[in-house]
Amino acid sequence: MTAEQVVLAKGLRKRFGKRTALDGLDLSVTQGQLYGLAGPNGAGKTTLIRTLCGLLRPDEGEAHLLGWRMPSTRVLAQLGYMPQDFAVYDDLSVLQNLEFFGGLYELRRSQVRERADELLDLVQLADRRTQRVGTLSGGMRRRVSLAISLLHKPRLAFLDEPTAGVDPKLRRSFWDYFNGLAEQDVTLVVTTHLVDEALRCHVVGFLNAGRMMTQGTPDEILVETDTANLDDAFIVLQDRGELAR
Amino acid sequence: MKSLAVMRNVLRRIVHDVRTLVLIVILPLFFVLLYGNSFSGSYRDLTIVIVNEDNGLASVRTAEVGRITLSVDLAATFVRALDPGMFDVVTSDDPEAAAASVDESGVWAALVFPKSFSNTVVNEAVRASGERKVDFEGDSVTILPSDPVDGPQTTLVLDDGNPLIAGAIRAAFEAAFSQVLATQQSSLTAEGLLDVRLLHEGKIRMLDFTAPGIIGFAMTLITVLLTAMSVVRERTSGTLTRILIAPISAWQVTFGYTLAFSLIAIFQAAELFLASTLLFDIRFVGSPGVVALLIVLFTIGLQGIATLISTLAKNEAQAMQFVLFLLIPSIMVSGVFWPLETMPATIRPLSYVNPLTYANAGLRKVMLAGRGIGDIRFELAVLGAFAFVMLLLSVLSMRRQAHTA
Repeated sequence: MTAEQVVLAKGLRKRFGKRTALDGLDLSVTQGQLYGLAGPNGAGKTTLIRTLCGLLRPDEGEAHLLGWRMPSTRVLAQLGYMPQDFAVYDDLSVLQNLEFFGGLYELRRSQVRERADELLDLVQLADRRTQRVGTLSGGMRRRVSLAISLLHKPRLAFLDEPTAGVDPKLRRSFWDYFNGLAEQDVTLVVTTHLVDEALRCHVVGFLNAGRMMTQGTPDEILVETDTANLDDAFIVLQDRGELAR
Repeated sequence: MKSLAVMRNVLRRIVHDVRTLVLIVILPLFFVLLYGNSFSGSYRDLTIVIVNEDNGLASVRTAEVGRITLSVDLAATFVRALDPGMFDVVTSDDPEAAAASVDESGVWAALVFPKSFSNTVVNEAVRASGERKVDFEGDSVTILPSDPVDGPQTTLVLDDGNPLIAGAIRAAFEAAFSQVLATQQSSLTAEGLLDVRLLHEGKIRMLDFTAPGIIGFAMTLITVLLTAMSVVRERTSGTLTRILIAPISAWQVTFGYTLAFSLIAIFQAAELFLASTLLFDIRFVGSPGVVALLIVLFTIGLQGIATLISTLAKNEAQAMQFVLFLLIPSIMVSGVFWPLETMPATIRPLSYVNPLTYANAGLRKVMLAGRGIGDIRFELAVLGAFAFVMLLLSVLSMRRQAHTA
């Protein structure tokens, strides 16, 4: 693993009963890269993220984050994770949620407030900071979840569908923010279903049935699939995956 | 029939949920078996100390040959009349030590037969029932009533901390005395021969006796339900995963939980004890500090049980069922309503692994008898070990939950 390689996975295999969720998967993400994980439902994107983060143990293969073989507690302080479900406390206010998780990362109260101001502006919830999260809409709760994931300024963040249920205008500002983070050498691995979002990633990996069908820049994927747009490229890759099964 | 469709849907979902299905089938049967077994027993293995100073002789006045001495050995007759299954009889020759042993080292009663027991019984029997004939050296002689015998009475020191057991012991002793008196054809009753000294002076009501256990059970129910629900909710909402992917160890998470729920437990215990004493005048003669220590150790262990339950339960409804599955039997075998001494040997191991048994025993000693920390060191040690083991298992369970969330 080179110093630049922030995420490195080799031959990851994970089964749930008879179902193979990851089928000998390799992955490499370098520092400051905005990596898009695309693929149909059930392709293994969430399983891959959970395995990389050490939440699931692979049956075979190994994963390294920031130079540490996972699972390792040494990377946790530098790791951001936004799960697919909201994973927020409905009975606490937006700010109380941020304060609690900020405390786990040993952020001082003033630091949490400072970061909360910035992130709540980003997710457009500044005027809702004292509102109980349970009273917010689904999309708003997801935005709270995103703010929590980025609160401690992680060097590496895994964001599992951060823009699901978010309106197009706000989605665009999220991607602008993600690109801004990448420019500051923060590495982001983001799962998405949306082609226009994949286009904004530096590198896109297309997963199907637990296998990495292809990975490269959006342009490279278009060349490889001999298609004119990513929409068609993804359909071609999905068909290839089904044929290979 | 839309209602039928709803019914079918409910049943179909239950059939698909194997754990719920098992609980539905097993739980009622389990309760009946447990209840039947634990409630159908009779008292067994009650330790009593007997000091027999009786010389076994009776000096009586006869119509034919004047005063004679009969060898009757009535104290031994009494001991033989006791049910050997019910009592573990320990003999001693020190009346004071025997009396002091009651309520310590698990002794329920001490019975001291005075030197003149046989003499007193025979003479009092004749005086109460009139002259009667006995065989003496091959001849039939008539025993005449004598003046009242002015000697020491048989002393019974009885632990009435458990009114049920105290009542059973008294009934058994009176039955044995009746057999002794029957050998002397006497109309006397046992009461007249016994000087009964109740350890708690009869001040412990059934309400007082059951209160510590009920309070312990209330603590169990509230703590286990609250903890299990919280952990399951934390896991199913995804926040537990989020916590465990932060730089915080499973130990720290578990300890945080323990601190929070211990504070809640202390508050609830204070509320329970205050309400019980103010509203129902429940006996509480011990130290609140010792009770608090006991409650904290007990509830830390309970939180561990709850965390383990939350590992098994997929959702809050399942957690609730597991809690009921564990808790209802726990009160049945804890000695709260009926003493452990009545339970069949097959059930007793369940009592011994049940933390409520020790919480109940400790609380009773402190609340009812005013015992101090040294007197409940066994209960504290068991509950301390229980808390420690459960804390360890909780940490392992937290780690596991992070990987299964």
